[in-house]
Amino acid sequence: MELDSLKEIWREAQPDEAHGMSRPDDAPGAGDRHADAYTGRESLLPLLQQRSRGPVARMRRNLRIELLCIIVAYVPLILFYLVEFQGRLRAISLLLLLVGGLFCAYYYRKSRLLSTMQCLSCQVRSNLARQVGTLKKYTRFYLLASTIVIPAMAILTYLIFHFRLFYPDNTRVYHSLSPAPWWKNSTIWLLMLVPFTVAMYYFNVWYINKLYGRHIKKLQELLREMDEE
Amino acid sequence: MILLYKPYYKLFVVSNGQQDDFIRLVDQNRGILHKVCRLYCFTETDRQDLFQEIVIQLWRSYPGFRGDAKFSTWLYRIALNTAISDLRKQRPPTTLTDPGELPTQLRDIQYTGEKEQQLQLLYTAINRLTEVEKALTMLYLEDKSYQEMEEILGIPQNNLRVKMNRIKDKLRKMTKEATYGIG
Repeated sequence: MELDSLKEIWREAQPDEAHGMSRPDDAPGAGDRHADAYTGRESLLPLLQQRSRGPVARMRRNLRIELLCIIVAYVPLILFYLVEFQGRLRAISLLLLLVGGLFCAYYYRKSRLLSTMQCLSCQVRSNLARQVGTLKKYTRFYLLASTIVIPAMAILTYLIFHFRLFYPDNTRVYHSLSPAPWWKNSTIWLLMLVPFTVAMYYFNVWYINKLYGRHIKKLQELLREMDEE
Repeated sequence: MILLYKPYYKLFVVSNGQQDDFIRLVDQNRGILHKVCRLYCFTETDRQDLFQEIVIQLWRSYPGFRGDAKFSTWLYRIALNTAISDLRKQRPPTTLTDPGELPTQLRDIQYTGEKEQQLQLLYTAINRLTEVEKALTMLYLEDKSYQEMEEILGIPQNNLRVKMNRIKDKLRKMTKEATYGIG
């Protein structure tokens, strides 16, 4: 039998037959399976109010949760160090504010990438190419941001601790704790950071690959299949 | 009047009339959506999820539909893009090295009529194709021209013809030992 001769059977197949989708039990007319009360409008209208559960929508939701967690954790801490201890630990608020600012830039960049990640009304091939390209940019940025966040925080902490924390008599906390010259402490601090940053980099490579690696690989396979002659 | 949130930080205003138009158009093309779900999902729950996801994406994209393309072309693009991108619902690709396996499976299926039997056989065979091949086969069975296929998939027509011939060969091989061979 030729595939062409199956076209008619294919087109004749009723939606429910093709799909095997049954009417929900709580739907109007569910008691009588043969009734025509379950019209398209009644079944489609509730779907328009639903939230998307696609991969991009899930990534966007996760990003929003991340932002919410940062706000919930950082704002009370910033306020606390700003007003407590007679304002002597304001520098910690400044540190947290800087990190919060960096996170806002991180959120903005990720959010922009997610908003351009797919074009569902575009041709399938161009949508796949766009997804692969944007997802790669997204993971590169994710890797960069998650790798530098720890050393950046450590350096900021060091600088603030060194220059901005004072006792009530205006002597630097840093100098009273460490009599060694500043360059010696800075070098030790940096030497400790290097292996930690390298370890974080490899951990992030593994983690990001676990999150997105299979998805990217599959999209690339689909794209390659579309392009091959 | 309905405010529709778009992921580009814009709010689109959709009138009730437009909503009615949308529902009417989607309802008229419901069969296409069901067939896409039937082809790309393997469980009933997944099919319902995918159907819902496609309708949501159609609704979100609707304010951007300006009628430059035919509604069915636009609908096919969104349905196939949604189905192909949602990789959770797809099982690992099946290799086609053992076409003899298929008839054994088919003998276990109870058929009620010749047409249903052929349709079931067709679905079983198509399920063994890759995601791209499934899309191509579906459009072919829907009697779309190669130009329309190109508009939907973005694959050049020459390439589409080559691929379609290859798919026919695959389907023929897969069903050669079945009662009804497809070719």
